[in-house]
Amino acid sequence: MTPTQNIKSFSALGNPALRACLALALMLFLGIIFNGDGAFFKTGTHRDALRQISVYGILACGLTPVIVSGGIDLAVGSVLALVAVCAAKMAIHWNWPSALTVIACLMVGAACGGVSGLITAKLRLQPFIATLAMMVFARGLAKYASGGMKISTAILNPDGTYRYAEVPPFFRFLDSRVLGGNVSVVTIIFLVFAAVAWILMSKHIWGRHIYATGGNELASRFSGVPVVSVKILAYIVSGTCAAVAGICQAAQEQQGDPETGAGYELVAIAMVVIGGTSLAGGRGGIGLTLLGVLTIGYLDKILSINAVPEAGRLMLTGGIIVAAVLTQSRKKN
Amino acid sequence: MLGAFVFLAGCSKPTGGNSGTNSSTPQKKITIGMSQCNLGEPWREQMNADIQAAAAKHPELKVVFKDAQNDTLQQRAQIEEFVSAKVDLLIVSPKEAQPLTEPVARAMDAGIPVIVLDRRLLGDKYTCFIGADNKKIGNALGEWVVKTLDGKGNVVELMGLQTSAPGQDRHSGFLEGIAGSDIKIVFSADMKWLEPDARKEMESALSRFDKIDLVYGHNDPGAHGAYLAAKSAGREKQIKFVGIDALPQEGVGYVSQGILDVTFQYPTGGAEAIDTALKIFRDEKVPKDITLGTRRFDKASVKTGGEALP
Repeated sequence: MTPTQNIKSFSALGNPALRACLALALMLFLGIIFNGDGAFFKTGTHRDALRQISVYGILACGLTPVIVSGGIDLAVGSVLALVAVCAAKMAIHWNWPSALTVIACLMVGAACGGVSGLITAKLRLQPFIATLAMMVFARGLAKYASGGMKISTAILNPDGTYRYAEVPPFFRFLDSRVLGGNVSVVTIIFLVFAAVAWILMSKHIWGRHIYATGGNELASRFSGVPVVSVKILAYIVSGTCAAVAGICQAAQEQQGDPETGAGYELVAIAMVVIGGTSLAGGRGGIGLTLLGVLTIGYLDKILSINAVPEAGRLMLTGGIIVAAVLTQSRKKN
Repeated sequence: MLGAFVFLAGCSKPTGGNSGTNSSTPQKKITIGMSQCNLGEPWREQMNADIQAAAAKHPELKVVFKDAQNDTLQQRAQIEEFVSAKVDLLIVSPKEAQPLTEPVARAMDAGIPVIVLDRRLLGDKYTCFIGADNKKIGNALGEWVVKTLDGKGNVVELMGLQTSAPGQDRHSGFLEGIAGSDIKIVFSADMKWLEPDARKEMESALSRFDKIDLVYGHNDPGAHGAYLAAKSAGREKQIKFVGIDALPQEGVGYVSQGILDVTFQYPTGGAEAIDTALKIFRDEKVPKDITLGTRRFDKASVKTGGEALP
């Protein structure tokens, strides 16, 4: 078979969804081979894998519209930490009711996204720079709001001793399981957000505007697409998703750690890209992101149950990301 | 003694005018510069708090804190700033040995005594080093595990960053501590000091092994993450959870809440640094090298401030 034929047979694989499915299937196949003494065949392993990827997955759902619109949001990991700190402060230290905590946290996230969006769309700063700035700023704000300490159930009294608060019931709920103990609540939240994002992107007019803006911004502008507000909304969605992820993170850690979520933005971006969404904008979707999330999540889980040393994990992850994205970009050649 | 103190204060502040003669003002402020390499870690936050608390008992001391935000060159610049501000004593908790050895040596040349905290520098151009020994703590923890598990059992080890010296020492010390027993490390993973990673790795360990007797987290958040994973699987009652660091708001809190079975303190040395500084000001001889002991906090001793180990 000549190289050209080889490429042809790759493109014969058709649409990106099929290729993303293939990557995931390959990953699951690897899991069956390297099953960690049978651990891969236990339902608990899959439940845990899905719990572990949920926070990343929620971030990736928010990132997908931003990336399809031709942008990027590097701030999601920091916004996650900021919201985790806020959530812990409100729910544990101030005893706010859960609804109020959630609404306030979502507003914090949406505000961060909104500022990134404004700077990008209105002030025309490159999204990479604007969200890099927000990434640094939100991390600083998280440290400021927490005083540099983790906001945990140990609360400092004025006399230097500690009293211990209860873990808020809605933290416990978010960290529990439903459906006979088979599915983590955070996984359900992830799936709900994936569904909402999917509807917004494929059924709603905003979704079509996102694709148009990412495909050709100038042409979209001339044909009456409100490019600025479409882009700002994309960043607001991303910030809100980061806030949801932050609440889930705080609930699972039972604390608000200002250092948490460092590097999560890169994992989430990798998940989006591995699914087949183009970093150049205009192509991709939530369904693909879902496949990307599962692929990376299972890769991580398989490495973990086999107790592969850290060095090997990093090298394998890097290699597999390149391989997966290479198959995605075959069509362009 | 008082003369020495005035002399020191005098020679570091030559603009003071009547240097050396005015011995009736022992309340004159002594300025200590504290260069912290990274306040992003709760443990280092605690170190600064310990220094502040110890210094607060001596009204003549004034401590100026600087945070290098995990940047070696920034820390170097801050040490130089302290030297040109002519502080009376410098406490440095260095980020790295090599690049900070010379700035500290220059401070010594300028007549400023330097106390090095936690991480070592190269050579011996400093006044006093104060630090704990991770290997010793790991060893003590290992011996405790052998005793508690009656010499045999399955252990999961969730390791701190294995490219960092504390992570390596807490591992090798533990291996020495359990040597000769039938304790088996059935699963070990590098959780990089991070609680979410520790939880993830513990979930994998739980799905691989039906019998786990104890989890050793290289830090308390790691042990806590493992506890949450086990609790989620309904197996937390069969497993003991052990951590290191014993910060008041973390490990000690977890022990008093019944989450961890035991935590071994990794002392910050903040209080000892101020003690040593006072000795230096009084012109007493101080040891070149002070190794701090650890304290063990378990359910029984947590209320009384833990149990000191040699």
